[in-house]
Amino acid sequence: MSSRDAIFAALDKCNLPDAPMPSITIEPNNEDLMGQYEANLTKVGGTLVRVKELSEVQAHLDKAMADGQSVVCRVEGLNGNRELDAKPHTLQDLDLALIDAEAAVAENGAVFVRETASGHRVLPYITENLAVVVKADTLVANMHEVVKNVKLESGQHGAFIAGPSKTADIEQALVIGAHGACSMTVYMLD
Amino acid sequence: MALIGGIESHASAAEKFNRDVDRVNWHDKALWNLRHKRDLAAESQPEWEDLKQLGSEYKLHTLANLKHYLTEFEANCKKNGIVVHWAKDGKEHNEIVHSILAKHNVKNLVKSKSMLTEECHLNPYLIERGIDVIDTDLGERIIQLNEQPPSHIVVPAIHLKKEEVGELFHRKIGSEKGASCPTYLTKQARAHLRQKFLEADAGLTGVNMAVASEGAVAIATNEGNADMGVNLPKVQIHCMGIDKIVPNMDAASVLSRTLARNATGQPITSYTTFYKGPKEGGEMHVVLVDNGRTKLFQDELLAEAYKCIRCGGCLNTCPVYRRSSGFSYNALIPGPIGIAVSAGDDETHSLAWACSLCGSCTQVCPTKVPLDKIIFKWRRIHSEQGKLPYGKNGYMPWVGKFMANETMLNLGMASARTALRILPDALMKPFGMDWTKHRELPKAPKTGSFEAWFKKNRENK
Repeated sequence: MSSRDAIFAALDKCNLPDAPMPSITIEPNNEDLMGQYEANLTKVGGTLVRVKELSEVQAHLDKAMADGQSVVCRVEGLNGNRELDAKPHTLQDLDLALIDAEAAVAENGAVFVRETASGHRVLPYITENLAVVVKADTLVANMHEVVKNVKLESGQHGAFIAGPSKTADIEQALVIGAHGACSMTVYMLD
Repeated sequence: MALIGGIESHASAAEKFNRDVDRVNWHDKALWNLRHKRDLAAESQPEWEDLKQLGSEYKLHTLANLKHYLTEFEANCKKNGIVVHWAKDGKEHNEIVHSILAKHNVKNLVKSKSMLTEECHLNPYLIERGIDVIDTDLGERIIQLNEQPPSHIVVPAIHLKKEEVGELFHRKIGSEKGASCPTYLTKQARAHLRQKFLEADAGLTGVNMAVASEGAVAIATNEGNADMGVNLPKVQIHCMGIDKIVPNMDAASVLSRTLARNATGQPITSYTTFYKGPKEGGEMHVVLVDNGRTKLFQDELLAEAYKCIRCGGCLNTCPVYRRSSGFSYNALIPGPIGIAVSAGDDETHSLAWACSLCGSCTQVCPTKVPLDKIIFKWRRIHSEQGKLPYGKNGYMPWVGKFMANETMLNLGMASARTALRILPDALMKPFGMDWTKHRELPKAPKTGSFEAWFKKNRENK
């Protein structure tokens, strides 16, 4: 018997009493979504910058590039100073990556990003600093709401990212910047 | 069961940890700190109790229909180009992982925290076969360098002080001697591990949730190590117990709201990533493991242990865990949930007694695992098998008879109160045995028995 069949045969013997599939009836708290989002993003170590035009984001990128930073920009209409190579490993010395995010979640400060927005799957993690552009009208109250809006596509990778990489594995002391990005900026486009 | 220190009872191992009172207090405080943060996060969610109820119901529904959801998960994975493997035990799991790595001639493997691979003893298995295995979660890397198993399921190096980590890093990765600043040490580890990520030929992770309707696995980390690990090399492998299945994204949304809040008090982990297929030109494997799970599923109550989402909340709140440390359980998973899943294989017959039955674990659990009931049931099972620990077989029936007889009990308690009043402590203390080792004897209440007090003050009021 294959192990698959053996596991299924063992499960046949279990007969746990059936329990119905629950349904979520929690009402989203839609009060001051932007205020909730900013408070939670700050709590998880990220920074919110509200912008009216994409050109304001370009001004931030220009300043980073003028400071000598290498910038990969994956947002249409904006420019960085570095293109993606075929091999993602070369991104190890990247200073800043800017990508599109599809949705934002007020209850925890997360944004949803997809690999089509980043080119290489590893881009949002390997870069020293991560920035995303997300439209204000994609902001929802909680995780139940956001999973209605973002559909995972076959063969893809999608991630909820809430703030920079962090750890508290040494005596519970919070340190920002473990393996992933050491900072996270969310440009919220009105 | 994954015994980690040979055969030793919990009491005997805990006694060794308890010799260093300062360290016990420090350990207790570190864990209580996490529990406190958890309370703040839970209290800030008005729907917290609803989320716990939903989490429990989703997991119960999934466990009751596990065959259906495993079948659906497998079919959807195949559609997404994911290769699915089945392992009945830890040995087969290790063989499957090794065969994938051997096929690709993998020499360097980066791993992200997976208690399942610890349970299967994957690391030594692969290292014996010439593969360099690097655990990449900072806490996991620390204990790997220290040649220890994890002492906690979420914060595996919680038992070590920063000075000890500094000394370890100085010896093993060349950081400055005498350094103990967590920020400095973390940056040293970042540089050291980044090199490992860049050199890796394959990445392996555990799984927090496997979504049946999507054919996708979700991994939650704060450090981003899982994503760094699997997104660079061509081959990615995800190992999971069959209990990690959830039906759909709604269920995933519920559990993602409680997991981090109950673990560390964060609203969500920094990264919650869904993998629904291999990267372009890459390979993605999922290994589904039983390793004793279906055996526990046969008991309606014990099965509920697998509603667990491994947040570690029950460890942080447990007064026994906090004061005896993870290693005293002599099981890979310590604390209340460790007892719930390992007590059946406990050859020392002591694990189920590493608990005061205070019920705090059950109270904080985000999926309402009835941990105290499960632990109590394990005691009963050991008792029915005639395997009570340390002589309990001999005296417990007498204690039972004594306590069941009201006259005897009242008389006994009255004489105990009198003895406490008139006899010197030195004479009385030995009767308390272990209980009085680190405690003073109680003062006998002036009011006599509780019953007498109750009659006088509360009855008919």
